[in-house]
Amino acid sequence: MSLHHDPQLLKGVISLLLLRLLAERESYGYELVQRVQALGLTDVLEGTVYPALARLEREGRVSARLVASTSGPARKYYRPTQSGYDALSEGIAHWDQLAGILRELLSTPTPDSPEESAPKSSTIGA
Amino acid sequence: MSNRPNVWDRLWIEKTVWTLDQQLYDLPRDRRISHRRELRTNLTEATQAVGAREAVRQLGGTQQLAADYLDAELGTGPRGSWLWAAVFVTMGLLLGTSWLHDATWAFAQGVLAVDPEATGTFTWSGIDYVQSTVNYTFTDGEVTWTGGAWTPLAYALWLAGAILVGRLWRFLPSYGARART
Repeated sequence: MSLHHDPQLLKGVISLLLLRLLAERESYGYELVQRVQALGLTDVLEGTVYPALARLEREGRVSARLVASTSGPARKYYRPTQSGYDALSEGIAHWDQLAGILRELLSTPTPDSPEESAPKSSTIGA
Repeated sequence: MSNRPNVWDRLWIEKTVWTLDQQLYDLPRDRRISHRRELRTNLTEATQAVGAREAVRQLGGTQQLAADYLDAELGTGPRGSWLWAAVFVTMGLLLGTSWLHDATWAFAQGVLAVDPEATGTFTWSGIDYVQSTVNYTFTDGEVTWTGGAWTPLAYALWLAGAILVGRLWRFLPSYGARART
């Protein structure tokens, strides 16, 4: 299934998503993009993933190593550091908490029109 | 689809890689090289899957990519710019040197306007504070001169200007750590 997602929403969780995938298996940039897209997040482009990896590396959440490739230049494989695993656990806890709050709110009946959500008050005529 | 990139694909990839590189001048050299190499590898891999044009398209534009890399490396707050500092120094020195030369030449023209066949030596103290003394030698209306260079104060002003224009204090480690948090 492929749906369009709010880029701002994805931006907030891209680090968590990448750390989770890298915790499963170390990957290089393009492979990671493919793994993200295989999840159904097809509108997550390379231009989103590569800088996010650079940020994680700068923050010390992931480490990188170069591995020779038969199909081209050496690939830069990433995997989480201990700090990355810690951040992942913390991120999952925060996500669960946030998702729980939102799920509770969003599962209540939603007004279908602006009139339904307007405050009930008497109208003053001209 | 899995094709090894041909010459045109490689040229397309290189164009993209170097276009991005031009937009990452504010990063340390080793980080720029690292991003170049990684992008080249990833684009090569993507080209084998979807073709070079599509691989580049999926990057979402080098300008945005460069901005995201700079945010990732330097933080999202206001940043310094080595590029603007370099532009200021280069343009300033070019224009400033031209200005000094014009001023020096104007003094000589002034002497020749009074006496087109002037002979002898003259001294001009130069533009206050920024130019050293100029010594002219006139021989039958022909002029040569020595001196007239920038003073140490002028160089100090260039340096201060470059720091201000490039906001270079933002590259200090303590400032960078604060900006990235």
